[in-house]
Amino acid sequence: MVYGSNQVWAPWTVDDIHSKADLGRYRIRGMSTHQKITHFDDLTFLSTGLTRFPLEGYKEQCNTRVELGGLNAENPLVLETPIYITGMSWGALSANAKTALGKAASMVGTASCTGDGGMLPAEREASDKLIYQVLPSRYGLNPNHMATAQAIEIVVGQGAKPGTGGLLMGVKVLDEVAESRDLPPGIDQRSPARHPDWLGPDDLAIKIEQLREATDWKVPIHVKLGACRVADDVKLAAKAGADAIVIDSMVAGTGASAEILLDHSGIPTVPAIVLAREALREIGLYRKVSLIASGGIRNGADVAKALALGADAVAIGIAALIALNCNRDIPEANFEQEIGLPAGSCNRCHTGKCPVGIATQDPELVKRLDPDEGAERVANFLNSMTMELALLTRSLGKGDVKSLEPEDLAALTIEASAMARVPLVGTDKVFGI
Amino acid sequence: MTTRELNRSIKAAVAEGADEIVIKNPAARHNIAVGIRQSCKIMIEGSVGYYTASQLDGPEVSITGNAGWALGENLMSGKITLSKNAGASVGASMRGGEMFVGGSAGARAGISMKGGTLLIAGDSGFLTGFMMQKGRIIVCGSVGDAAGDSMYEGTIYVGADVGSLGADAKYEEPTEDELIELWAELQRSGVDGKPRFRKIVSQKKLYHYDTLERLERTLI
Repeated sequence: MVYGSNQVWAPWTVDDIHSKADLGRYRIRGMSTHQKITHFDDLTFLSTGLTRFPLEGYKEQCNTRVELGGLNAENPLVLETPIYITGMSWGALSANAKTALGKAASMVGTASCTGDGGMLPAEREASDKLIYQVLPSRYGLNPNHMATAQAIEIVVGQGAKPGTGGLLMGVKVLDEVAESRDLPPGIDQRSPARHPDWLGPDDLAIKIEQLREATDWKVPIHVKLGACRVADDVKLAAKAGADAIVIDSMVAGTGASAEILLDHSGIPTVPAIVLAREALREIGLYRKVSLIASGGIRNGADVAKALALGADAVAIGIAALIALNCNRDIPEANFEQEIGLPAGSCNRCHTGKCPVGIATQDPELVKRLDPDEGAERVANFLNSMTMELALLTRSLGKGDVKSLEPEDLAALTIEASAMARVPLVGTDKVFGI
Repeated sequence: MTTRELNRSIKAAVAEGADEIVIKNPAARHNIAVGIRQSCKIMIEGSVGYYTASQLDGPEVSITGNAGWALGENLMSGKITLSKNAGASVGASMRGGEMFVGGSAGARAGISMKGGTLLIAGDSGFLTGFMMQKGRIIVCGSVGDAAGDSMYEGTIYVGADVGSLGADAKYEEPTEDELIELWAELQRSGVDGKPRFRKIVSQKKLYHYDTLERLERTLI
C-alpha cells in the first residue's frame, strides 16, 4: 500500500464531483466559507508593559458606547456596545428566532436588523433599535414600517454571496412568509441581484436622498457592501451620501447560498476593514462616515481587532445564532437522525429542518426555541463579548474602545501583516508596503 | 426652496388637512412628494425627476409633464397619473394602488411589481414586468424585448407588438370578459381604442430547482 493523500483530488473534491454529477446544478448550503483564510486569529494585541500603563482590567471604566451615522441624520444610531445583530430574514429564520434576537439586542442596548423578507411585527416590538433593510428584492418593503426604524440599510451586496441575491428554498416559503413577500407559497425563492429602481452610484445618491426624504432625514442611511472591490466601492458609497458603510466579508454567513459563491468570491474581513479605512481616509471621511465590519466575528478579541483596524462597530450573525443554540445538542433534537449531520457540523439551514428551531418554519421545530430563553442566551453572549472587548481595551491602557488603533496590533503571519498593514511579530516590517 | 423644504411643506400641509396641494415649476427635480402616508391630493404642474411620488400610501398624485426613473416606486395604495412619458422602472416594486402613464415608459416598467395596476397608454421598453410577482401591467402599445422575464405571477397585457418574451414567460389567450374589462378600464382612463390585447403570464418552470442533493432528498 502506498500512503499519502492527493491534495488536488481530495475525498471532499471527489464527493463534490459525485454530487454535481447526480445533481446537474450548483450545490447549496448554509453557514460560511470553508476556505482557509487569514482571520483575526492571525493578529495579536501588544498590551501594556513599561512603555504604557494598563487600566484596571476588572474595575476601571471603559466606554463601549458608539454613535453611528451622525453625518446627516438627526438621530444617529447610539449603541451601548459596538456589536449589533446583522440582517437575517424572517423566512430564513423562524419568528421565534427573530423575536429572540430583537429582545437580546434591546437587553444590551444595541440594535437588530430586519433582512430580506420585510419587518416581522414581533421583532419590531422586541427590538428598541431596529435597522430596516432595503434590498434588491423589496420583499415586504413598507414605508409605514420603514418610518418606525432607527436606521435604514441599503443592501448592495452580501459577503457570503456577493453579486447575487438571496436564496430561500421552498420548504421555508410557507404561507405567512410567502404572503409577506408576495410570492407563491412553496417556491424556491431566488432574489434579484440588482435593485429594481437604480443601477450605478449616481443613481444611488438619488436613492439615498429618497430614503432620507421618506424618513424626514431623521435616521442614518447605511449602505451594505459585499467585500470585493472594497476601496472603490467604499469611496462610491460615501460619495453617494451614505452615513455608514457596512463591509460584509467572504467569511460572513448565510442561511443558503450556492457553495461556489461562498468559497470563491469576496475577500476576508481583515483586509476588507483596512481597505475601507484607507478609502475613507483618502476622501477625508474616515470617522465621519461610520464603518461597520461583519464576517466571522466570534468573540471580544475579534471585535477589538476589528475596531483597532478601523471599524466603528461590528455586526454578528452566525455567532448570535450559535448563542441561540445553533448546532447545540439540545434534548429535544436528534441531529444525526433529523439532519444527517452531528451537532457542531450542521450547515443545512437551507433545508428548513433546523433541529433547534432557528432556521426553520416548521411549526413543530419552531417550538424548540423559546424566544425568552433564547434572548437571554444571546444577551449573555453579547455582554460576554463586550466585557472581553473592554478587558482587552483596558489591558492596552485605554478607557474607550474608540481609542483602539492599528498600532495596538502585530501580525502572527506574513500574510496577516500584509493584509492588516501591521508589523510581523518580532520585526518592524509591515509586509506588502 | 430645497427638496427637503418642499417635501416638509407638503407633509405639513397634508397633516393640516389640506384638500389639494399644487406644486408649480418642479424643474424636473428628483424626490418630490416622497413618503406621504395619508390620503390627500397633490398636483404637480411640470416635469419631474427620479422617484417622484414614491413610497406613498394613500395619496392621489397627478403630474402634468414627463417623469424620470422610478415614478411611484413601492406605491402601497392611492393613484398616480402622469400626462406624458415616464423613464425607466416606472412603478418598480409597487404593491398596490393604480398608476397611469399617458405617454410611453422606458425599460423595466413594473419591475418587481407586487400588486396594483400599471396602465401605460403608449409603449414600454425592454424587461417590462421583469420579476413581477403580482398585479397587472397594461401596455396599450408595444413592449420591447424580454417581456415578463422571470415573472412569478401577475399579468402583462400588450395592445400591439411584443419584442420578445423573457425567460419563463408565455402567452395565454385572454378571455372575452377580460378584454371587456380592459377596454372599460381604458375608457375610464381616457384612452381611445379597443386593442386585442395579448396576455403574458409565467410558465412557472423556474419555480423550483429540478433536483435535490442525496441528503436533501431525505429531508425535504
